[in-house]
Amino acid sequence: MEKARISSIQLFLLLTGFLYGSTVIINPALGAKNDAWLAIILGGVGGALLMGVYVSIALLNPSRTLVEILRDRSGKFVGNAVSILYIWYFVHLASLVFRNFGEFMVTVTFPETPMIIVIGIFAVILVYAVNSGVEVMGRLSELFMPVVPVVVLIISLSLITTRDFTAFLPVLENGMAPVLKAAFGFITFPFGETIAFLMLFPHLNQKGNLKKIAALSALFLVVLCLVIFMRDISVLGSGLMQQATFIPHLTSLLIPGLNVEPLVDINLLIGGGTKISVCIYAAVKALSQVSGIGDYRKLTTAITTFCVVLSIWVYENVLEMLSWAEKVWPYYSIPFQMVIPLILLFLSFKKRVKPSNVRNGS
Amino acid sequence: MAIVLAAFIILSLYDLQRFIRKKEQAKVFVIYASLMAASLTVSLLLAADKRPASPAQLIEWILKMIGVVK
Repeated sequence: MEKARISSIQLFLLLTGFLYGSTVIINPALGAKNDAWLAIILGGVGGALLMGVYVSIALLNPSRTLVEILRDRSGKFVGNAVSILYIWYFVHLASLVFRNFGEFMVTVTFPETPMIIVIGIFAVILVYAVNSGVEVMGRLSELFMPVVPVVVLIISLSLITTRDFTAFLPVLENGMAPVLKAAFGFITFPFGETIAFLMLFPHLNQKGNLKKIAALSALFLVVLCLVIFMRDISVLGSGLMQQATFIPHLTSLLIPGLNVEPLVDINLLIGGGTKISVCIYAAVKALSQVSGIGDYRKLTTAITTFCVVLSIWVYENVLEMLSWAEKVWPYYSIPFQMVIPLILLFLSFKKRVKPSNVRNGS
Repeated sequence: MAIVLAAFIILSLYDLQRFIRKKEQAKVFVIYASLMAASLTVSLLLAADKRPASPAQLIEWILKMIGVVK
């Protein structure tokens, strides 16, 4: 086990950055249209509970990564097989975020630049961060993550005079079904993706704070998403919001006499960078543990190269990307985010209860 | 096509010379080579405008077959 340690605040910022990730571009809660605020709250509660499952697994198996827990609880063969599936899942997730980032940059900021160049340069920086270790990733999040809420506040306050605060009315116009569907989407993206943190939790220096950190980061994301949603809908209105592809970018263009467009890019760079680096770290670390290679750094370049290629290969265009993220991703994620973790939690409880029963019996 | 090959050659040479110098285990070479070969194959196919069916399409097809996605 790598001896690197991260503090509670670093883990909180890493988690928040990961959760914020590419919600600048894709927010499944927006599927509920005017009622997205309700979907964000319901999804946030469900997401916090799901994160609670991951935290419980980590607390029941202290100092163990996801791969080690899987091997301990389900045997070496099954454990390794499921770990390989998780490696694929983390690689796939990293490539999807790479693509989100690339699509945004190429559409909005660098229309003349090929996407592979934008993604490739970003990947080089992230390989360096991942190879530097989890401590450096934690310190980087300490340095950059405070910028995210400040940017959101700057854009929100700049538009305070041009708002229609009744834009989110009427409430529940289309009933509860779209809200629940959007809330489920919001649980799987981004909350369920924090399963990748089971590869990072063993590095936390004070394990007792884990529950508090997870709950606070979930709360922080819900508040941030609510602020962004209320800002966007009150400025753009419901109709334009449904038609726009990159909503926060469109909102940022409406500030009179001030160009804050790069600030949205910065937020995506920070959130996306955090999310991709955590995913790559989780994938490489898991691969090194499954294959019995001591140092995960040997495989970082190969995995990142694969992620970059996969990000270009995975979708033909931005519309396919948005449609896939909304329609397929939530269901594809269920086994990785819910089924396997719940089985793992059950097995962890069973294993913990067993020794005390034996003692009581004797 | 040439740019793709050049990028992969540079990346591989940079890593492989490190691996050889540190006398890494055979499995490191095998895993590294497999990942890079898969990436190179897909990159060349994409560069040649012969995009193979993507994993996203495959996953969607499986979920449609099960009846989870309509």
